[in-house]
Amino acid sequence: MTPLIDFFTDPILRPSTVGCMLMCFASALVGVVVFLRKRSLIGETLSHASFPGVVIGVFLSALLIPYSDELVALAILCGAFLFAFLGLIVLNFLENRLQVKADSALCFVLASFFGLGILIASRLQQSYPLWYKQALIFLYGQAATMTNMHVIIYACFSFVILGFILYFYRYLEAVNFDPSFSETLGIRSKRLDDMMFLLIVLAIVVGIRSVGVVLMAGMLIGPAVAARPLTHQLSHHFALAGAFGVASGFLGNYLSVVIPQGAYSLPTGPMILLVSSAFCFLSLLLAPRSGLITRYLRMRRFSFQCAVENALKSLWKGEEKASFPPLIRWQLKRRKWIDPQGHLTGHGKAAAEKIIRLHRLWEVYLVDYMGQKVEKVHRTAEELEHLMSPDLERELTELLHNPQHDPHHQPIPPPLPPLGPT
Amino acid sequence: MNILEVEQLTVNYEKTSVLWDVNFAIPEKKIVGILGPNGAGKSTLLKALLGLVKPLSGHITFFGKPLAQVRKRVGYVPQRSSVDWDFPITAFDLVMMGRYGKMGLLKWASKEDREATRMALEQVEMLPFADRQIGQLSGGQQQRLFIARALVQDADVYLLDEPFAGIDMATEKTLLDLFHALREKGKTLLIVHHNLASTETYFDWLILLNTCLIATGPVSEVFNQQNIWRTYGRSSILLDEAAIKAKNKTSGLL
Repeated sequence: MTPLIDFFTDPILRPSTVGCMLMCFASALVGVVVFLRKRSLIGETLSHASFPGVVIGVFLSALLIPYSDELVALAILCGAFLFAFLGLIVLNFLENRLQVKADSALCFVLASFFGLGILIASRLQQSYPLWYKQALIFLYGQAATMTNMHVIIYACFSFVILGFILYFYRYLEAVNFDPSFSETLGIRSKRLDDMMFLLIVLAIVVGIRSVGVVLMAGMLIGPAVAARPLTHQLSHHFALAGAFGVASGFLGNYLSVVIPQGAYSLPTGPMILLVSSAFCFLSLLLAPRSGLITRYLRMRRFSFQCAVENALKSLWKGEEKASFPPLIRWQLKRRKWIDPQGHLTGHGKAAAEKIIRLHRLWEVYLVDYMGQKVEKVHRTAEELEHLMSPDLERELTELLHNPQHDPHHQPIPPPLPPLGPT
Repeated sequence: MNILEVEQLTVNYEKTSVLWDVNFAIPEKKIVGILGPNGAGKSTLLKALLGLVKPLSGHITFFGKPLAQVRKRVGYVPQRSSVDWDFPITAFDLVMMGRYGKMGLLKWASKEDREATRMALEQVEMLPFADRQIGQLSGGQQQRLFIARALVQDADVYLLDEPFAGIDMATEKTLLDLFHALREKGKTLLIVHHNLASTETYFDWLILLNTCLIATGPVSEVFNQQNIWRTYGRSSILLDEAAIKAKNKTSGLL
């Protein structure tokens, strides 16, 4: 088992770990903007569009500077940036000038640029098989062979992106929410947009070395999707997405080394993506407000509460239903609504009267104000009695002039005095 | 003094004229209704006034000056449907945006900024909802936030795009009271509207629009059967024909 600290000290593990964390951080931040603009697929298109740039970068450095690894890395980055940028220009031209629909334009740019890349790469394969392998690294990514040089380049890019977002945070918020209003404030939304998209291209170019052009889009969007259900503030969305990005970068590296136990090595890029997808999945399931499982549990809890309160009511009405399900009986006891013998306590009586009161008040309201038939209101009130807040009860009492009887001529229990612990 | 003067304003989308040779002037302290059928160019007029669409020709001045010099005195309330309400901001953040033009970058929101935001929320009776995500609010509440955002701009002229569309009665009443209070403070409001029934009670001044300017002036002079008919009735058919002709031509305006 490799100790955690090794990932930050070991000269072989460190560049890849730190590099991936930086790159995931940067792409998660710009990913938030892409995600909020509903342009998630742009990452997919632009990363593929950068591929011919990568191949040409490799090709030219093979001819001109075959012995300097650092310069080759830089040449590849430049090539990738140029072509991704070109892809962006073509995309905008198609959408704005030729009125091509966004999804078609994205497909078109992706396919044509990537096709061009493959074409040049296969030519490279024939004359320079070694350099061809270099180019292929960028197809699926290869984090393990990153060097300190890469880390420095990535650190610079990450700081540029972070600095931009911090500096323009307020304008980014305004422009991404409501561009025309921002314009009337004197914010140049078009120019800010252009800069933002330039940064997105940068983040993609930075990322393809470690996760590859094929998987890059996921790295952009994953952390943003995972963060969205957890907050409703833009600053928190950025921060959480950044944190998810850094965590995926680290865990991806960690798991790809730890799982195989030294016997062989798992590729890092796909592992990072899987970790980030796992974050998304967990967040969508477990988010406190909107998570699928959370919502289900909340529903179950509510219907259980209804069942308990209904059991309490039937005890109060004196119906002999000795056999409640054990869970409900336990809950009634826990709240001290019944004593160990199963008899209603004073506490329980008060609680039951409160529910009955809400039920009957509600019936009065339905009949008097909503014009419902007397014989039909019982069912609706049966559900609403579990939902009403003290505020609503007070308002309803006032509105109905504190009625004493419900439409079925049953007495309405008086409101409780401000009570102690329930 | 005229708050706003528009001369020979023409706006085209592609080859179709949306606004054609529109001229009018608005005096101060008025609540102005902009009325016309669908596609009459009401929203486009507001956008042209704000510099959001580029007119083909025309001259627009606020307070006798071009917009660029008096931008901060002109507030805007876009249509509620023009933004994505799932966006991760709270009601407070949304209203605060109205101050971004003055705040500058990288600074924390000052005490005055926060106070102004709170006051505006209070004015539209939305202070209890300040921390809610905007998507959880009803249509009327969202509209109130848009108005509050314009209020914190502290402008002298407000341009509002259909603020009464799709809101509840209570909100309509609140907004109307607010608009009257603003007029008392010397502000001018231009409001795109399309309910003829409430026109006479809501507005002091009207702009009746159907691509061309049909009529403009005080409500008592302008709001009559003949003008309404010219705006919504026969003339709209004629203009449609003109628009179709213009579309089919390969060059020129009409």
